[in-house]
Amino acid sequence: MNISYNWLKDLIDIEMSADEVAAQLTRVGLAVEGIHPHGDDFVLDIDLTSNRSDCLSHLGIARELQVINNSKLIINNYDAPSPGDPNLVNILDANLCNRFTARIIRNVKIGPSPQWLVNRLEAIGERSINNVADITNYVMHELGQPMHSFDLDKLSGGRIVVRKATPGEKITTLDEVDRVLDETMLAICDAEKPVAIGGVMGGLDSSITDSTVSVLLEVAYFKRENIRATSRTLGLGTEASYRFERGVDIENLITASNRATELICELAGGKADDFVDVYPNKFVANQVASADISASVKRLTGLSFETGECVRILTALGITASDDRKTFSSPTWRHDIAIEEDLVEEVARHAGYENIANELPPAYGAGEYQKTEPRKKRLRENLADMGFDEAITYSFIDTRQDGVFENIPGLLNEKLEDKYITLQDSVIDGALRMRPSILPGLLDAVRLNLNFQRRDLKLFEIGKVFAAQTGEYELPNEREILTLVVIGGEISEGKAVTVRELDLYDAKGALEAALEAVGVSNADFTAAEAKHLRKGQTAAVLVEGSRVGYIGRLSDDIAAGYKFKQPVYVAEVDLQAILDMESTPIAYRPLSKYPAVTRDVSLLGDRNISFAATRQAVTEQNFELCRNVSFVDVYEGKGLQDNERSITIRLEYRSDERTLIEDEVEALHKQILSHLEQKLAIKPRF
Amino acid sequence: MSEERDRVQAILTEFQNEFAPYASLSLDGASLDNVESKLREVAELKVRHTGKKSPISGAMNLVGKVAPDERAGFGQFVQSAQKEIASKIDAVEKTLNEVIINAKIESERLDVTLPGRRPRTGHLHPITILRQKIEDIFVSMGYAIEDDREIETDHYNFDALNIPEGHPARESQDTFYTTQGFALRSQTSTVQIRAMERRGVPIRIIAPGKVFRRDTPDMTHVPMFHQIEGLCVDKGITMAHLKGTVTEWLKRLFGEDTITRFRPSYFPFTEPSAEFDFSCFKCHGSGKFEGDRCRPCKGSGWIELGGSGMVHPNVLKAVGVDPTVYSGFAFGFGLERMTALMYSIDDIRHMFENDVRFLEQFK
Repeated sequence: MNISYNWLKDLIDIEMSADEVAAQLTRVGLAVEGIHPHGDDFVLDIDLTSNRSDCLSHLGIARELQVINNSKLIINNYDAPSPGDPNLVNILDANLCNRFTARIIRNVKIGPSPQWLVNRLEAIGERSINNVADITNYVMHELGQPMHSFDLDKLSGGRIVVRKATPGEKITTLDEVDRVLDETMLAICDAEKPVAIGGVMGGLDSSITDSTVSVLLEVAYFKRENIRATSRTLGLGTEASYRFERGVDIENLITASNRATELICELAGGKADDFVDVYPNKFVANQVASADISASVKRLTGLSFETGECVRILTALGITASDDRKTFSSPTWRHDIAIEEDLVEEVARHAGYENIANELPPAYGAGEYQKTEPRKKRLRENLADMGFDEAITYSFIDTRQDGVFENIPGLLNEKLEDKYITLQDSVIDGALRMRPSILPGLLDAVRLNLNFQRRDLKLFEIGKVFAAQTGEYELPNEREILTLVVIGGEISEGKAVTVRELDLYDAKGALEAALEAVGVSNADFTAAEAKHLRKGQTAAVLVEGSRVGYIGRLSDDIAAGYKFKQPVYVAEVDLQAILDMESTPIAYRPLSKYPAVTRDVSLLGDRNISFAATRQAVTEQNFELCRNVSFVDVYEGKGLQDNERSITIRLEYRSDERTLIEDEVEALHKQILSHLEQKLAIKPRF
Repeated sequence: MSEERDRVQAILTEFQNEFAPYASLSLDGASLDNVESKLREVAELKVRHTGKKSPISGAMNLVGKVAPDERAGFGQFVQSAQKEIASKIDAVEKTLNEVIINAKIESERLDVTLPGRRPRTGHLHPITILRQKIEDIFVSMGYAIEDDREIETDHYNFDALNIPEGHPARESQDTFYTTQGFALRSQTSTVQIRAMERRGVPIRIIAPGKVFRRDTPDMTHVPMFHQIEGLCVDKGITMAHLKGTVTEWLKRLFGEDTITRFRPSYFPFTEPSAEFDFSCFKCHGSGKFEGDRCRPCKGSGWIELGGSGMVHPNVLKAVGVDPTVYSGFAFGFGLERMTALMYSIDDIRHMFENDVRFLEQFK
């Protein structure tokens, strides 16, 4: 809001410069964001908080300066009202319109405003229209009270009826828009029809024109919540509605009306006539109890202020104390003083927050991270060490992604008609769905990076995914998951070309390491299918027998949709489920004193016989001396049939009691191999 | 005697003649092969002139033929001749070996400026880095870290935070709603309520997390961002503790000379309320950096960071805490804005684009 320094000086005696005023106002919570020279004036740009509607005028700001400067407001007495015909105004809904004053001014000559008025308005960024419109605008900025002037001759019956609109009732407002009202809105009507939307905007037909000679000046007070609702419903916010919905001073209506009347008579040659004030129920200001304001200030702020000093500040702000100084009455212009803490804030901000000490609270207990944080921290660091960059993508995604990706097991409730969580509206085109998967976001990130010639990428994200719960009124299911994406070649730091192309086993290795970082060293991967992954290159990830997600190569269809030309490997797992599991305990085994004997063997067989099956076929024989089966290499191609492959494994034989002899190992090894041949039809290639 | 001496002298002379080409060896520009063959020749020379079967070794046998009183003198003479031969050969061998070793060293010289062999290291998101730093500080100050739901009921997002229906903050168009009528939390203050319900009071927590506002993305706005909420409720907590705590963690993050400024403000869930600023980490409050207007603080010397205040009694009442017995402070601030200021990031949308050129700058 713009405030003119010169204008302020009309309202209060101050010796301070504009800069000093700005600094002082900022100090008490009326943040001055800028000071702009305007001719011989300075304009202060004040960023008001939404509770201080009383400061939406020069008078309001002057009141704050009154406390700061210990000076008095310059009170101007305007002409006292002359009584008029009580039938001029009829309030039919006193709940929505609490007070309405009308003044008739005759023989008005509409014309341009004098230069001083044009200048004042221009200084605060307002455009001059004509003398009467300018005066109502001027008084609003001076006293904070919005008002509206009608052309009296255009009001049917020459009178005002304030009532709720009837559904479907129409009015063309000043901005030349046809608007349809409903029964929740307050209409200012003449004898027949609405001529203004109460507190929001006047009607075009009854507005002041160059030929207007008689003016009806409306200065009223409306129910705040109703103005806000009407303004929102109509999508119409005005300077008037802005003030009414935050609250104006109901006891200031006559002063404001008189001030405007005086100016209209002076500047537009009018003559004041009838005045009517309809005020059915007198406004009751908030009474705030405070048994010991000094103690409360001390309790909440640590400031030591005697009661007398507290009362001085409050009184200067218009908050009056009872004789025993235990009850305080809010002034009619303040709508934000309701409880004792509000009084404390008033005292504290004028006492100065800078005078509050800097102290640490007394020592308490030990701090603690979230239970899962140390493991998640390790997980992040581990992935980063393996070359993964951490991404954060938006939690809302396009509805076109519905059903494209297989989500983590158990997330979606397939029985529900509406499995997803959907936003009522979005600020990004199409992004209405709360993501059930992080993959769409990460793949978008991959696309963006490819567009900038970054083709070798490893990305991960840890975040929540969302799905509907069974009950309609149940809060959505939120699960924290981990997603990885791998594409391109392996980058060596400082080297321009990649070392080799990454493949599924890079993604798998990263996932295994990530799981190990959070305490899971026994994850299983089994061949599976998932709709977003290519058949034959997909694995389900199992931890302690339960499926926690999928890993594999992105399907050709989806890859083509993103115009990915290289294979993309992705993994998504239910991190929350994994973190909920007990981490594998460390089982220490004493170190053997005896050497191990290792035997590498290349086994030739059907290429669909998996390593896991091969290893299983060894370990299921339960030979105590065969301690380990590990993978060496696979070979397919030249020299082998199309359906064949050779897999080389290493068997480790060792005893804890003695050094094994060659013959013993050889016999055992043969026995193991013959079992493999029998069971899986794979036999040593050489 | 002189006959024997002459024999020795003759052996010596013969050696000297043979050795002459090596005595003044010029190795400048000689190839490694050349030097190595010279070394072999010298080795051969050594065998012939210093071995047991060498003429000079044989000369020792002449000692018997010398008159007894001259034997000692003759022996010394032979020995010195032996030494001369050996030392000359050794010296040239040493020289040649040095040349060879130096040549080898030279040929195996490495370019130590080539990059070290290491797989590329990834990077944590700058928001994660800052969050972890701030969490570390607060844990060391006795705070517990909390988080909770991102989709909330109006009760947790508004009512319990003293934002009743009809309140401007609630009616504003800021909040995302799901079709079921749940709110995406518009501030991490929701965790104040959840945590106090769970833990009761006294309580000291900070709650980092995602929040959502209906802002169309532009250079300074994003519809999703991260906040950190702080809450301390106990008997006897005052605004002085709020100021002290905020000042302390900012000092730990930005340095001992950091100072803070609290300005009166308004938030529905605190009373009294304050916004807090801290002295610019770049210009240390001077507003000038290297002679120019300091960028993060726009020359003001202050960085506006967040909102704070004493927990509103209605918020305490909402979780069954008696505001006449307990009091507390709360504060909150946004991580994206802070990160953007710290690194002079001009477009906040970069935080969620995940452009690797952006991410890899945060090492």
